[in-house]
Amino acid sequence: MTEKIVTSFFLLTSFGYLYLANQLTFGTLQSPRSGFLPILAGITAVLISLLLLAKQVRSKKPVTNNKIDWTKFSFILIGLLFYITLFNIIGYLAATFIFLLYLFKISDTTGWRLPLLLSAASSAFFYLLFKYYLAVTLP
Amino acid sequence: MDTLTMLLHGFSISIIPTNLLACTIGVLLGTLVGVLPGIDTISAIALLLPFSYNMDSTAALIMFAGIYYGSKYGGSTTSILMNVPGEAASVVTCLDGYAMAQRGRGGAALTVSAVGSFIAGTIGVIGLTLFAPPLAQSALAFGPPEYFAIALVGLIVLTKLTGTSTLKSILMVTIGIILGTVGLDSMSGISRFTFGIDELDRGFDLSLLAMGIFGIGEILTVMTESNTASKVPALRFRDLYPTREESKRSVVPIFRSGILGFLIGLLPGPSGTTSSFASYALEKYCSKNPAEFGHGAIEGVAGPESANNSANSATMIPLLTLGIPFCGGTAILLSGFMIHGIIPGPALITQQPDLFWGLIASMYVGNILLLIINLPLIGIFVQLLKTPIHILMPLVAVLTLTGAYTINNSVLDLTWIVFFGIMGFFLRRTGFEPAPLIIGIVIGPELEQGLIQSLIICNGSLTELLTRPIAGTILAIGSVFMLYHIIHWLINLKHRQKETISS
Repeated sequence: MTEKIVTSFFLLTSFGYLYLANQLTFGTLQSPRSGFLPILAGITAVLISLLLLAKQVRSKKPVTNNKIDWTKFSFILIGLLFYITLFNIIGYLAATFIFLLYLFKISDTTGWRLPLLLSAASSAFFYLLFKYYLAVTLP
Repeated sequence: MDTLTMLLHGFSISIIPTNLLACTIGVLLGTLVGVLPGIDTISAIALLLPFSYNMDSTAALIMFAGIYYGSKYGGSTTSILMNVPGEAASVVTCLDGYAMAQRGRGGAALTVSAVGSFIAGTIGVIGLTLFAPPLAQSALAFGPPEYFAIALVGLIVLTKLTGTSTLKSILMVTIGIILGTVGLDSMSGISRFTFGIDELDRGFDLSLLAMGIFGIGEILTVMTESNTASKVPALRFRDLYPTREESKRSVVPIFRSGILGFLIGLLPGPSGTTSSFASYALEKYCSKNPAEFGHGAIEGVAGPESANNSANSATMIPLLTLGIPFCGGTAILLSGFMIHGIIPGPALITQQPDLFWGLIASMYVGNILLLIINLPLIGIFVQLLKTPIHILMPLVAVLTLTGAYTINNSVLDLTWIVFFGIMGFFLRRTGFEPAPLIIGIVIGPELEQGLIQSLIICNGSLTELLTRPIAGTILAIGSVFMLYHIIHWLINLKHRQKETISS
């Protein structure tokens, strides 16, 4: 099912891309323009996606995958989005500390002392490494 | 003689303290990357690209090359000790390496793997030294039609060599080409598919894409799949070395597979993985005891690991002399070159001889360093495997995200990396290989530029393109390759239909 959803996503994206590519000038064989390759690539992507989707719909072969903890997946994504949001608001050091602590607890790290210690030490290490050793601007 | 002089000059550059340190860091990191499952070479180099911004270009590229070929050494460690391939090219090593470890011969397997990698890696670098300059000379005869032909045939061959589904690989390559069209069109200067976002004018940063798909994607996969506790067997000192019999049986496979790996490495595609499988098949065919393969045959470790390393050196030839990456690893190396404002290609040898020969000489030095590192430090590296995934992955996640931010100091890049990470996660689960996508985004712009320039030069005449000797030959080879696979597919289809009817 996931496979079909992903292929459908590619199909829809390819249609969208082709629609936008059509707004560029295709040109001629003697004088190709900015839309030349995008339109060809868009058509190819649509056709391949259609073929693939048709094959997947007709296929009776079950697709086996390792089991995924979708709850954990959702929480990790939420954590990532919060990290990106907090990044510029509270600064790199604080945001990274909170994010690491969050991830350690999501990953079932037991207790609080170790995750707190690791989060503090790691965020400080990364901050020093990037800001002072590599002279990178961090919020 | 001239090559030897330049190579000696290269050695003088490679042993400059800064460059030697960069080489040491690179091979050490590469070995670590290879040892740690969950982080592959492309992700490691992509993670470290931002680190290199303040480094000297030669030192930076020596470090990245060190990571690239160093990871092949480390990949065998987890394959042999834990039956977990450190990277794709070490999958085959699991078959006999792990069986040897279970018989208490894990140390011997690790030693043979390290020594074989050193010898074959040196064979590869010698080949690179001898063949790169003449290839570069002949490459000067290449024009836009020839580059277009190489890019097109490279894409065609790659889609067949990667993954199990050709259709999926073709789709991934096409998606990569599509992603490569986002941003300012180099020919017309028009912004394409940017939706008015100024930051998208520069297109998608390749390192960002790689870090997202391979780094964040891998982290999401590992953190959400069920884990099994890994057990690392203890190694005694005497178990670290092979017996005389094992050494004797390893010699011919190392040299034979070293040459085979080098030849395969000249072709587009994931040559490391391809060469290791091809070597395994070859060694099994040549072996006096083929039944032993799969149950702890030393040749099953020596051959594939040697081929893998030799192929690595060969993949540098098209990158350095033609400026075209033939696999995902060299694609990310190309991004390293571009970040430092260096364009690899036929002119690299003449315009930047210090960089070119310094890089090649550093590969000789790197191979020696890898042997020195891997033999005594095997026990220590194995301890890293005991780092629990639930501690390792969050740290890698933060390192990836921080690295992504430092590229353009843009929070939007963090959003993109998470988006590509989710994409990478679902690609893995649905059998779509991410590597062709990287190839597509790297070769796509080359393909477009070559195609448009060729059509302008040939006045829109495709037949004129085919009549050019080099371009025509390359396209003919690509056509034969495609025809062979189409016929092969039709024959297989007919057999399957016959089997269906008879059953």
